[in-house]
Amino acid sequence: MPEDPRPIDAFELGLIRGRARWIGDLTEFFRDYRIGDTTFALYAKGRTRNSGFLISRFFSWTVLPNYAIALFCVDEGEGSLGIETLRNRVDVVTRISKDEDLQWAWLILFSRKNIQPSIVSFVSRYDKRELGLAVASTTVKQIVLSNNQIGKSIEKHLRLSRALGEEKSGKTD
Amino acid sequence: MVSYSMPFVLLSALAINFVLLANGLSGTPYRLVFLSTAFPIGFSIGRAIYLKWSHIQIEFDSMSFSIIKGSKEIANGPWRSYKNVSIILDRYGRPNLRLYKSVGGEYVDLPISKTNAKPQEFRDFVHRLLSTQRSARIIPQVVEAA
Repeated sequence: MPEDPRPIDAFELGLIRGRARWIGDLTEFFRDYRIGDTTFALYAKGRTRNSGFLISRFFSWTVLPNYAIALFCVDEGEGSLGIETLRNRVDVVTRISKDEDLQWAWLILFSRKNIQPSIVSFVSRYDKRELGLAVASTTVKQIVLSNNQIGKSIEKHLRLSRALGEEKSGKTD
Repeated sequence: MVSYSMPFVLLSALAINFVLLANGLSGTPYRLVFLSTAFPIGFSIGRAIYLKWSHIQIEFDSMSFSIIKGSKEIANGPWRSYKNVSIILDRYGRPNLRLYKSVGGEYVDLPISKTNAKPQEFRDFVHRLLSTQRSARIIPQVVEAA
């Protein structure tokens, strides 16, 4: 019997199959991508204008803006995820967003530990519009999303809970 | 390969039909048997053209790779020339592999969507190869003092 894929592999596979297409067109996927001191387990680049075929292509070329976007995933593993680490990750991604001229970015942190109440509080109150933030516990299948449109789209469009093997999300907005 | 073969199946069927008409065999019950040979003839021609022009073959070992399209080698090189690997989706959403010589620099695309390789597994395999070669490069050589 085949082994269940790791949540991050399952999440990437969904994105490769076009799960993000309603919000952006992610076209390039790196694994274990190192930027500065941070190693991103998954780094995906794309644009808001999707390619499509005939009518959808015409629609996207005439209506949609062509902004650069990116998705960053960090696998925290067994290590405890504290506020300081989370702030550092957010700062790194914010800096990359400025350098790469990204219109917006997603940052998703996977952890095998339970999510601390301080993290839940920080993430659920995070409301900067250019960064969607999510923290997911792969053991208890809990997902915390930031309180902005990009953050909510992590569940609505990217279906993070499916990658964790959940039929229904145990998310906390 | 089917898209290569179908025009030749049609052309073969037309040619066979003309031959049957010219020899007065169009009314015989064997007509369908003769016409059905259009399929193996068309598929053979289509397959030969596909293999000659479009068939993609990626050959690799732990040191190097080469990409052969049809009967021509379109790219080759040692893995150690590359620093990074990614999965890149083409305009039809098909996943291929992209090998970078430097971060954001020159690259080579490996059209794995035209093979039966699984993109994630193959990318991870290449990633491991590149990491191994990179770490092998930075291991200092032991020099014996005289």
